[in-house]
Amino acid sequence: MDLEQLIPWVRRGDELAWEAFVRRFQGRVFGLAYHYTGHVEDARDLAQEVFVRVYQNLASIPDGPGCLGWILRITRNACIDHLRRAKARPPLGDLAAETLFDLRSPEPDPETAHLEASRNAAVHRALGELTDLNREIILLKDIQGLSLDEIAAILEVPVGTVKSRSHRARLELAEKLVAVGMGG
Amino acid sequence: MEDRFKRPADADLTEAILARTSGSPCARMRELACDFADGALDAERRMLAQAHLDHCPGCAALVAALGASAAVLPRFAEADPGPWFTQQVLRATVWAPRPASRARAWWGKLMRRPRIALEAAYLGTLAGFAGFSLPPASLAKAWRVPAAVQPLAASARNLLHAEQRTAQAVAGIFVSPQGRPPGVVQRFLAKLRAWLGGGEPAEAPPRPSHQTHD
Repeated sequence: MDLEQLIPWVRRGDELAWEAFVRRFQGRVFGLAYHYTGHVEDARDLAQEVFVRVYQNLASIPDGPGCLGWILRITRNACIDHLRRAKARPPLGDLAAETLFDLRSPEPDPETAHLEASRNAAVHRALGELTDLNREIILLKDIQGLSLDEIAAILEVPVGTVKSRSHRARLELAEKLVAVGMGG
Repeated sequence: MEDRFKRPADADLTEAILARTSGSPCARMRELACDFADGALDAERRMLAQAHLDHCPGCAALVAALGASAAVLPRFAEADPGPWFTQQVLRATVWAPRPASRARAWWGKLMRRPRIALEAAYLGTLAGFAGFSLPPASLAKAWRVPAAVQPLAASARNLLHAEQRTAQAVAGIFVSPQGRPPGVVQRFLAKLRAWLGGGEPAEAPPRPSHQTHD
């Protein structure tokens, strides 16, 4: 069932539709929450909180295309609130990204697969070294694939600002990758 | 155009000439790097950028890194929250109570405020003071009651009068100020004393009267 068909059922409070909705978006919500918090448990709790909020506002779920942006906006706000509350808490060690994201290489050749895995890990590390704003732009645009308009609405800034910020963020990330020898 | 830019050139000479004329073109290349990596440049601009990249290892590395990150980043969009996550969400939502109406939610929120008991006690005390300290006549003078609530105001006035009369009656029972005849309680106690003492009960004092005796 595609999203356009699913959402009316979810709005009506159908439990099976709600389960399908959760299964469809949980990876996105958890992935974004993990990038914001950097902790698996925190990200899991936040993702659960996001779905509870969505469930309390079933009637507000927008139609198909806007749904992902809407739910990621709720996720982002929940993460920002969480980070504000937990500002003083020291960072914890956590699972490596490779165990969390499905970064397995489809390459059958072990050497190529290893190279690709190390490249993925380098990108993930470089992402963690970006400034907060640049990382947020990359999270929303290049990772979650939201449009400039959606990002501008989430961050409450003009579209032009998002566009110029996006270029700068990508360049900052690329420079960090070049610094670790990933520039070709 | 393509042939001209593909001709081998003395890199040092080119740099020297650019340094004395337009300056380094790398800043311009940085502006176009994202669009180049995304394939969003028009054909001529793309050709010019490619010619620069052929001679500038720094910009070429930057563009390569942009391409690599563009290929990897979408893989970070989804993560597996674990096998029990969906069940936990369903438990927290489907079993959770249905959302209350906005007015009920507001009222519930108001009632859950920690200071609500203090505020209610304060308002109650204030209302009590206002009700007992001001005579009904002054209340009526102080506020001009709108016609729509006249019946309600009249009921409130009657209630206040009744309360005052009750208070006077109770004062008459329990209090016997000097110069005024004793109340019912005093007469009952006098009879009881006389009975317990075995003597004749004292002559019952006259009933309290509001008439003044000269």
